[in-house]
Amino acid sequence: MNYKPDEATWTAYLYGELADAERRQVEKYLQQHPEEQKRVDEWSFTRSALGTLTDKEVIAPSIVLGETPAISWWKERYVRMSLGIAASVVMVLIAARLLGLSVTATDGELRIAFGNTKPTPALTRDEVRDMINGNNQVLQASWSEERQAVEASLQENLRKNSGKLDNLMKTASLANQDQVKLFVSQMQESNLKLMKDYLRLSSAGQKEYVETLLVDFSKYLQEQRRQDIQMIQARVNQVEQHTDKFKLETEEILTSLISNNNPNGAKHN
Amino acid sequence: MMHSDVLLLQARDGDRHAQGKLMQVWYKRIYNFSYKFFYDHDLAMEVSQRTFIQMHRNIAFLQDGARFRSWLYTIAVNCCREELRKRKSARAVSLHDLNPGEAEDSYSWESSAARHENPERMYRQNELAELLHECLLQLSVEQREVVIMKEYEGLKFREIAEALNVSENTVKSRMYYGLEALKRLLERKKITKESLGYEL
Repeated sequence: MNYKPDEATWTAYLYGELADAERRQVEKYLQQHPEEQKRVDEWSFTRSALGTLTDKEVIAPSIVLGETPAISWWKERYVRMSLGIAASVVMVLIAARLLGLSVTATDGELRIAFGNTKPTPALTRDEVRDMINGNNQVLQASWSEERQAVEASLQENLRKNSGKLDNLMKTASLANQDQVKLFVSQMQESNLKLMKDYLRLSSAGQKEYVETLLVDFSKYLQEQRRQDIQMIQARVNQVEQHTDKFKLETEEILTSLISNNNPNGAKHN
Repeated sequence: MMHSDVLLLQARDGDRHAQGKLMQVWYKRIYNFSYKFFYDHDLAMEVSQRTFIQMHRNIAFLQDGARFRSWLYTIAVNCCREELRKRKSARAVSLHDLNPGEAEDSYSWESSAARHENPERMYRQNELAELLHECLLQLSVEQREVVIMKEYEGLKFREIAEALNVSENTVKSRMYYGLEALKRLLERKKITKESLGYEL
């Protein structure tokens, strides 16, 4: 069952303003959810606390009440509105009369005028066309003159400005040639000096390097020679030892042979 | 409190005596509503008087006599809100706020039964009443209106909805959140079942 009372239901339940069916539903929900019963108890406590606040006794003061205002028919809203509109219309009419307002509509033309007016003679279509053409010619002539003046002024300004620009360019180019020459010569000198210094430093370094290399090679050769001599000396010593050993063994063998081949030597002696 | 239908009919017909009688019957209720709303005697008197002046001026236009109660509270609520706006703009402090209960016309001396009760009990009751008033004042205006009308004036939710011109569900929702807020405020002020049991 997914029923859960909302705020309004809780409030109505608390104040006994729920219908029976809904009240039973809430009570069933409370049986199933004891934790909600705790909330209801808390609200009841809050209500009982509020209930301790009693009314203050007060004596009604005497208020002088006027007559009940009878609403007259002319104070009715719609009557007052109608009267207002009527008064506005009358005021407009009086103002129009005083100012001599004249409103006429003839042949699709609406004319609003104040005071006595004299009808102005209407222009014919040809007259209007002539007026427009004349005005156009005057405008055309004026426009041509203004355009020529502007063009002439522009040409003059262009000529003057181009002359100034040429002079400036010449001056600038002359100045640039001298500066370039000076710069190149200075650069050559500095480059030469740089190269010389480099070569000088480079040759000294190379010489020192070669010397060091030769010394190192000489030391290496001497060391190698020393080691070779030691090795030869060791070999010779070894050969000598072998020779001595061989000689000694040979003598022992000869002695032994001699002793074995002459058994009567002692008898003879 | 029930009002006499005849009295109401006479008042609607412009009978000043009936209107005065009606005011006598309802004055205490409107005064107490306003007093709980502002916790200020002077403001409550001011609002009550303006409410009954408005009642006098407009009662002829009341169509349905059965709705007199909610209609009267509508006027009272509007007067309270107007007074609240004035107070907010003026930021005035009533002398009653500075020394409540000791004004000449505070009527506290008229709490007839209380005069003969245990002084300690009286003191505790006054203290509790002051705390409860403070709690009510801390509610939002909307919640305070609903809580006072329901809890102290005994209006039905339907009548409150009519008086405030809102839906019944809105009234119930405001009441719900008002009670929740009051519950928290009481806890904060340590008003427990035990302390309350002592007062009851």
